[in-house]
Amino acid sequence: MSALKRLFRKIFLVDILTGLAVTLRYYFSKKVTVPYPEKVLPPPERFRGILRLYRNDRGEPLCIACKACQRACGQGCFDIEGKREEGAKTLRPVKFDWRLDRCSFCGLCVEVCPTAAIRFSREFRLSTLDRGELAFSHEEMYLEGEALQHRLCGACRP
Amino acid sequence: MMSPFLADGLIPLAKILAVILYPMLMVIVMIWLERRIVAWIQGRIGPNRVGFQGILQPFADAVKLFFKEDIVQRRADRFLFNISPVLVMFSTLLAFCFLPLGEPFRIGDYTLTLWVARSPVGLLLVLGLSSISVFGVIFGGWASNSKYPLLGALRSVVQVLSYEIPVGLTVLTVVFLARSMDLVRIVERQQESGVWYGFLLPVSFLVFWISAIAETNRAPFDLPEAESELVAGYHTEYSGMKFAFFYMAEYAHMVLASSLVVILFFGGWLPPFPGVKAFAFFGAVPGFVWYLVKIMFFLYLYVWIRATFPRYRFDSLIRLVWKWLIPLSLVNLLVVAGLRFLL
Amino acid sequence: MAFKEIALNMGPQHPSTHGVLRLKLAVDNEVVISLEPVLGYLHRGMEKLWENLTYTQIVPLTDRLDYLAALSNNLGFVLAVEKLAGIEVPKRGQVLRVVLAELQRLASHLAWVGFQANDIGAMSVLLYGFEARERILDLFEEYVGARLTVHGIRIGGVPRDFDPAFVRKIERTLDGLPAKLRDIELLLNENRIWKERTQGVGVITAAEAVDFGLTGPPLRATGTRWDIRKDVPYSSYEDFEFDVPLGSAGDVYDRYLVRMEEMRQSLGIVRQALARLPDGDFTAKVPRILRIPPAEVFHTIEAPKGELGFYIRSNGTDKPERVKMKSPSFINLMSLAHMSRGNLFSDVIGILGSLDIVLGEIDK
Repeated sequence: MSALKRLFRKIFLVDILTGLAVTLRYYFSKKVTVPYPEKVLPPPERFRGILRLYRNDRGEPLCIACKACQRACGQGCFDIEGKREEGAKTLRPVKFDWRLDRCSFCGLCVEVCPTAAIRFSREFRLSTLDRGELAFSHEEMYLEGEALQHRLCGACRP
Repeated sequence: MMSPFLADGLIPLAKILAVILYPMLMVIVMIWLERRIVAWIQGRIGPNRVGFQGILQPFADAVKLFFKEDIVQRRADRFLFNISPVLVMFSTLLAFCFLPLGEPFRIGDYTLTLWVARSPVGLLLVLGLSSISVFGVIFGGWASNSKYPLLGALRSVVQVLSYEIPVGLTVLTVVFLARSMDLVRIVERQQESGVWYGFLLPVSFLVFWISAIAETNRAPFDLPEAESELVAGYHTEYSGMKFAFFYMAEYAHMVLASSLVVILFFGGWLPPFPGVKAFAFFGAVPGFVWYLVKIMFFLYLYVWIRATFPRYRFDSLIRLVWKWLIPLSLVNLLVVAGLRFLL
Repeated sequence: MAFKEIALNMGPQHPSTHGVLRLKLAVDNEVVISLEPVLGYLHRGMEKLWENLTYTQIVPLTDRLDYLAALSNNLGFVLAVEKLAGIEVPKRGQVLRVVLAELQRLASHLAWVGFQANDIGAMSVLLYGFEARERILDLFEEYVGARLTVHGIRIGGVPRDFDPAFVRKIERTLDGLPAKLRDIELLLNENRIWKERTQGVGVITAAEAVDFGLTGPPLRATGTRWDIRKDVPYSSYEDFEFDVPLGSAGDVYDRYLVRMEEMRQSLGIVRQALARLPDGDFTAKVPRILRIPPAEVFHTIEAPKGELGFYIRSNGTDKPERVKMKSPSFINLMSLAHMSRGNLFSDVIGILGSLDIVLGEIDK
């Protein structure tokens, strides 16, 4: 750029005006804020929300207490004990304790589960006022939606 | 026939009240405007929950500051510490007394003037009075008994004092054209000549505007008080209402500077193209509405500039004024004086 | 008032220290004489912790090192493990990793430019940079479900394949980025205030930079040509065409320009990768319990912050004997004292920002 052009730009504050033009354009552009909680953007399908245990189509629990998740977990979130009932085909968990406060949401447990019993939900509203709320027992691992929120709110302690 | 009680007692009293409330009202508007405009420029919305579209936000801030603990260090100079916010606020508010907000209008046979006081050297008084706020800054920095506020106060004072010079020089060019230091007369002269002085004196306007931003410690000249810098500025040690005073005084000072720009360079209460017959219908809108519109434009400009530019480092700031603005305004003064003499 | 040497403290809590970092400064009349960083406020004992975890369990924890560029940490560690264990990643997996790593580089630099500009006062650029970064994080969220602690690169490859819909989504996101970069450049590149604050500030010469072990954009801003992706390529980087931007003055301004250009180059790399995705598997078969016979390895990659290296010593079990991480931010931070000497202390923040440090990586 010639020296004359540079001088012109310096005197007539071209860089200043260009900058102001950019911000003016943004002033009139659409804003990206989403007014939470009136509008909640649904998380994508694979979102790593809180871990939940699931049942199959017939309503039977999928977990066979193989403890693969317990072995895979690097943070020690699981405490599982299984028992095979008389005449049953697989083990079933008699104890399935899971700690939300230790979970790093890495997903290793989900990957190793042979029956896809434990999976990420899309629930991200996990705040609670009481640390005790963060330890889940077997039945509580199946809670979802409103029931889960109620459980986390502190109204009913385990 | 207006009673003397009204004319000499109540109306001046009302005006004094107005001169306190008007800047305070503008401050409240500015706080809201600043947050919303900066947010909009950044692609977000800004406060919109406290009251309709967030207009109660400044009140919420004020209430919060009111309830904060008023901390004074043990070894701080109590008197100076307490008086600095008052000084800063007081000097700025006092300068508002001389600002004309519109042309006088008649109620019956009484002429209501839209200024508290008028002086043949009103311009000088306004500049002088607003400069007293420097004392508040230096007292605040000293009285805080802490090295960071002291450094910040010193820098702030150097900045304000240095930028006073181009302010004075550019204002002189306006005085040359208007042949008066009376603020009302300056506006009337702009009406007579049919053109706002900003178009006749673009260099003066630009230098004055840049200096005004520096005088009010606003971006990009806000190093003495910027949060992300090391030294946090003269009001670091202040909490609660005292801090609120400093904060409000800064906004009031902004309004004062905008008002001065409008009066000196943009025709005060005059409509656009004051001499042109074709645009005479602009006169249907009362003068002080034009005045407010113009002030709001400059206040918007303040915020817009803040949201856009990085901050000047202190030495660059000082170099800018001494190497560039002051010589430029001197040359400008000579040129205008010469032209005035010849024409 | 005549000032002698004053001791100033930029405490661990400061809006601009990019984490919990304490800087002890000695200042003479505004000019910095000496600077001493005090570290450790974010130390979590990562390296020790890893000695008790299997290699697979360590990978998600590497996200938390440089938390603004999780995938790069994943990649660095995983490549070292694969080198140690002799695992060969299929070509498709390698190219997918390149896509993820370069997207992460974009996200990291966008966060960096936002912070740097905000420290110097241009507050809007922060929001613009972060808004662009959000679009990339949305991609990660769609891919594996997390935005920050992504865990999106695993031992052997990547966790999932890219389906055509996802590829199109990436391309759409990339289409929107150049405009954002252009806006940031219009606001900063020629701006006189920005140039005053960044040109000639925090200068380090090429020789000094090499002496200090500086890596990444700060090194390239001095004119030294060293980019591990080009000079010691990994994960099929040798198949891609891209330039390595170099500066000349070694100041804050050049580091800014280098990173802006690097972002554009990353855009190019991702487009190239998506245009010719090889067929095949996206991951190698890795045994469920990965036991590695005793050996040691040190492998480095070009992370957004600089040269990231992992030293791993295995002992035949499924847990490492020792893992040592060479973090670029830590090494780069050590040159801060040299760079700041002679500058005004208001510039320290600008210089610190230009080094692009993340305390998670420094303190581990």
